[in-house]
Amino acid sequence: MKYRLKKVAVLGSGVMGSGIACHLANIGLEVLMLDIIPRDLEGDKLKDPTLRNSIVNSALQNSIRSKPAPLYHKSFASRISTGNFEDDFEKISDADWIIEVVVERLDIKQQIFEKVDNNRKNNSLVTSNTSSIPMHLLSEGRSDNFKAHFCGTHFFNPPRYLRLLEVIPTSDTLESVINFFMEFGKVNLGKETVLCKDTPAFIGNRIGVMSATEMTILTKKYSFTVEEVDVLTGSLIGRPPTATFRLQDLVGLDTGDNVSRFVMDNVENDTYINKIKKLPEPKFMRFLLDNKFLGNKSGKGFYEKTKKKDANGKTIINVLNLETLEYKPAVKPRLEIVKTAKGMELLDKRLQFLVDGDSKEHQFFKDYFGALFAYSAARIPEISDQYFPLDDAMRTGYVWEYGPFEYWDLIGFEKGIALVEALGESLPKWVHDLKASGAQSFYKYENGKKHYFNIQTKKFEVLPGKDAFIILDSYRAQKSIIKNSECTVHDIGDGVLCLEFTSKSNSIGEGIGRGIDEAIRLAEEGDWKGIVIGNNAKQFSVGANLMNVGMMAMQKQFDPLDKMVDDFQQINMRIRTSKIPVVVATQGYVFGGGCEIAMHCDAGVYAAESYIGLVEVGVGLLPGGGGTKEFAVRASDDFFEGDVQSPTLVNYFKTIATAAVSTSAHQAFDLNYLKEGRDIVSVNTPMNIGKAKDKVLLLAKNYIAPSVREDIEVLGRGGMSVLYSAINEFRLGEYMSDYDVEIARKIAYVICGGDLTSSQKVSEQYLLDIERENFMSLLGNQKTLDRIQYLLMNNKPLRN
Amino acid sequence: MEAYIIKGYRSAVGKAKKGGFKNYRSDDLSVEVIKYLMASVPEIDPKSVDDVIVGCANPEGEQGLQVGRLISARALGKEVPGITINRYCASGLEAISQAVSKINAGFGHIYIAGGAESMSMIPFAGYKLAPSYKANLENLNYHVGMGATAEAVAGKYNISREAADKFSYDSHMKAASAIDGGKFKDQIVPIEIEEVFVADGKRKTKTHTVAVDEGVRRETSLEGLAKLRPAFKIGGTVTAGNASQTSDGAAFTLVVSEEMVKQLNLKPIARMAGCAVGGVEPLYMGIGPCVAIPKVLKQAGLSLKDIQQTELNEAFGAQALAVIQEAGLDPETVNVNGGAIALGHPLGCTGAKLTIQLLDEMQRRKQRYGMVTACVGGGQGIAGVFERL
Repeated sequence: MKYRLKKVAVLGSGVMGSGIACHLANIGLEVLMLDIIPRDLEGDKLKDPTLRNSIVNSALQNSIRSKPAPLYHKSFASRISTGNFEDDFEKISDADWIIEVVVERLDIKQQIFEKVDNNRKNNSLVTSNTSSIPMHLLSEGRSDNFKAHFCGTHFFNPPRYLRLLEVIPTSDTLESVINFFMEFGKVNLGKETVLCKDTPAFIGNRIGVMSATEMTILTKKYSFTVEEVDVLTGSLIGRPPTATFRLQDLVGLDTGDNVSRFVMDNVENDTYINKIKKLPEPKFMRFLLDNKFLGNKSGKGFYEKTKKKDANGKTIINVLNLETLEYKPAVKPRLEIVKTAKGMELLDKRLQFLVDGDSKEHQFFKDYFGALFAYSAARIPEISDQYFPLDDAMRTGYVWEYGPFEYWDLIGFEKGIALVEALGESLPKWVHDLKASGAQSFYKYENGKKHYFNIQTKKFEVLPGKDAFIILDSYRAQKSIIKNSECTVHDIGDGVLCLEFTSKSNSIGEGIGRGIDEAIRLAEEGDWKGIVIGNNAKQFSVGANLMNVGMMAMQKQFDPLDKMVDDFQQINMRIRTSKIPVVVATQGYVFGGGCEIAMHCDAGVYAAESYIGLVEVGVGLLPGGGGTKEFAVRASDDFFEGDVQSPTLVNYFKTIATAAVSTSAHQAFDLNYLKEGRDIVSVNTPMNIGKAKDKVLLLAKNYIAPSVREDIEVLGRGGMSVLYSAINEFRLGEYMSDYDVEIARKIAYVICGGDLTSSQKVSEQYLLDIERENFMSLLGNQKTLDRIQYLLMNNKPLRN
Repeated sequence: MEAYIIKGYRSAVGKAKKGGFKNYRSDDLSVEVIKYLMASVPEIDPKSVDDVIVGCANPEGEQGLQVGRLISARALGKEVPGITINRYCASGLEAISQAVSKINAGFGHIYIAGGAESMSMIPFAGYKLAPSYKANLENLNYHVGMGATAEAVAGKYNISREAADKFSYDSHMKAASAIDGGKFKDQIVPIEIEEVFVADGKRKTKTHTVAVDEGVRRETSLEGLAKLRPAFKIGGTVTAGNASQTSDGAAFTLVVSEEMVKQLNLKPIARMAGCAVGGVEPLYMGIGPCVAIPKVLKQAGLSLKDIQQTELNEAFGAQALAVIQEAGLDPETVNVNGGAIALGHPLGCTGAKLTIQLLDEMQRRKQRYGMVTACVGGGQGIAGVFERL
């Protein structure tokens, strides 16, 4: 049976229901969301259709308004229709997938599923998003066809952003249904689908509960403060900046407590949890829960955001002292170990350092990782037949950069075993099998594919379900085509090259320029079909190497700087006009120079989660690598016979002058960073390079190199005057400083082709020249240098 | 020769883009209002009208192409000429003053004067924003947006957000009670509109009548107003709640010479005792009435205390308060039935509409002198004084 989805019914409109409905709308599905009728309706009000749907409608509106936005684009909301369980239930009869997200109560869910069973069409898929009720109880008493098409699909909040989707089959679920969700979740929903067993809290929350519990225990054991633990357990070890306690505040202490209680009460044969259950509950947890200090939603938890400001005008954040249970202003911890570790760029070196020493900080890490490894290893095969799903789940559900076994590989296989044994824990047989096979790691790369140790066959095998993914790590072992300090060019097969940025934060410097130039030459001269510019990093690129630019400007090396800007412009023109197709694949930040490179490619495959922007104004510059020129070109292409032109011009100008960053790739079309017909959006981020490669192959079939343009209509003084008026409004409203005005006027000058007395057609090179000239003049201004320096030191823009 | 206002009628004021006139053109609206006006004065042969003067602030698109001429031809016959004039928000009042002036000069006897605007159809700054490059080098504020001028006025004359919100609240309450009291009923021409549209995949028609001003927000509250975000400036005063509304509407008066009044035995309701305009710095355009008011009083030989009632166009709450404060108006006598914040501001129509409202209310209160005044974008003010007969 081939399942094809067009219409989905979401039953329940709470935070998760609405979030799921929005994400289903994101990918283009027709969504029907239903919820209950308000219980307090009576009399005539009971007949009012608006009131009958008020719960579902207000939930959806709240969700759409929430931040971060659940929709890729506001207009996608029109794909969601709403209704209530009493009037509209039969509308699920043509739904291809029905997903239940109602309150976590078995009796209510069973009632809903009975109704679903009576109204659904045969062979439609039915799933539950429950995080705590065993799947087999939910399908009890249902028809055979229902049972065969039923499983759990557990999303993480917020559904658009957290990439984990746990798929939990029952013993009745058809193999074809499981396979469908594993594939659909990945390819169409953009998720990492992880096959789970029907065990309490499945995989993500099971490991998550253990990890959070262990952190709390160790905080107490080593008498750390809340701030110290958050510094130790955030980005330092590849975790989100919310680290440990901030995360608990964000999730809500009551929610967290419910999940851990659920795990404690329901797991079997879990020695770790059994041990924990005997420990007294930390008094600070009781204090917080009893006082309803539940985190961000109640104004305070471990942290408290006060209304007071300090001498520098910064909001004072209080933090709970875990001993005295008083809130005191948070102090930035100064831990020697953090300073040293941060100096180590490579996470494997850093982690190895963190677990190699005797200070209490070292002890903390040794205990934590030892416990995490022991616990995770012991969960196989209880919660998963293989170990890699645990890594997938923690990476995508908890946004760890690495899952437990990947941490283990980074720290070192033997060292990890030693950490476990130091805690008096033993390792399960499968780890010994792995060791006996002669392997020294859980994962390895061979022939461009990532392999794991199949604990059943006791052999290393290719990770399943990754065929559509091109993971550049897989090519590290093979000889790279080009390699310098800022980029690597890989042969990704079928005659396609992939140029990967490898500089810090993927910032663009001279090495990347050289790499692009060489790669294009190689491809043009040799037997290559084309080039993908892409990488698997979190951020595609943060933009130009600002440190370098700032240093040179401060030393007044203007001639070399001018040459450097000219070179970058020419590289981008080379991309645009080369004789082979160049396709970009992006994700995360696509800023400044990174955005300019992307705009000059023949096409782009943008992950939906791409945040794209020409952000130069923030550092007192204008886009100088052809970005401003490209906006002039695109504006000109948008003009039509009889067009009044100024609204189009203002639109293009505003994007650059306000350094607008898109909140998704879809929204980037509105900002004109992306172009319909040229660029496409990939819901699944790690698939973008593969899709870009396909695009290269498609374009290569009949590729003709684009020429340098000489036909760009610019508006001269007429346009500048329009923009001057617009800038004046921004200034009067104090949205712009005086210096912002100066920068904006230079952008106006470039995008209008200068102060020409009438509109005229000009060439790309002319625009590049005036773009560079104005870029350089801004670099000569102390206020720009102040902005650059401030950003580099404080990681946030200066308004001067 | 003396000129007299015989009568005036207006359409209700519709909410732009969502109200009853959102799909109804301002020229069609004007034709209806003028026909109604002429029907109410059967003594006058429509073909004897000397000219139709139509004020319009954005005469382009649906109200472009000599809209004044098209209105005159369709409403009164091709023999009757028509003109479009534009003094932005003062256009409607300017039209009346031009009719009066022409009669005074002996150029004619019978004029239709007023204004019309569809803000549903024409963008606020027109289709093509194209300020002069040279002008912008001289003074950027020749082309400044109206919101920014209101902020500038609020700043210069110390008008607080709270005061602007309170003013707005009062405007709504006064307007609601005026509507409930039927005060506008006799001056409004009910307009029947037939709409053809597609719904549920089918062609449908429906008719509805617009006869009541649509802008009033009866449920507004000071707390609600206080929650709105400043629209034009960080930490500013002006919000969507304390600014005038964008609107659609048309209003016309019949102005006739003394000779013709006698000949046809007409009953005039008022005469225009004076009308003056003046210029101010464009950034502070909102304060414009303060230069026009002294001028018009001097013309009419009156002093401020003679003016028993004023219709002051509420472009913005902060701007209206600044004018009341600086011109020394008695707030009790200003906008007794609410203003543009509640009732809407269909730019080119406004001056004529306010005149009609003023004359009606003066009649009700048996007052002798009243004034209509407005600020004008680009840095002008206008004030007209009327004497009830």
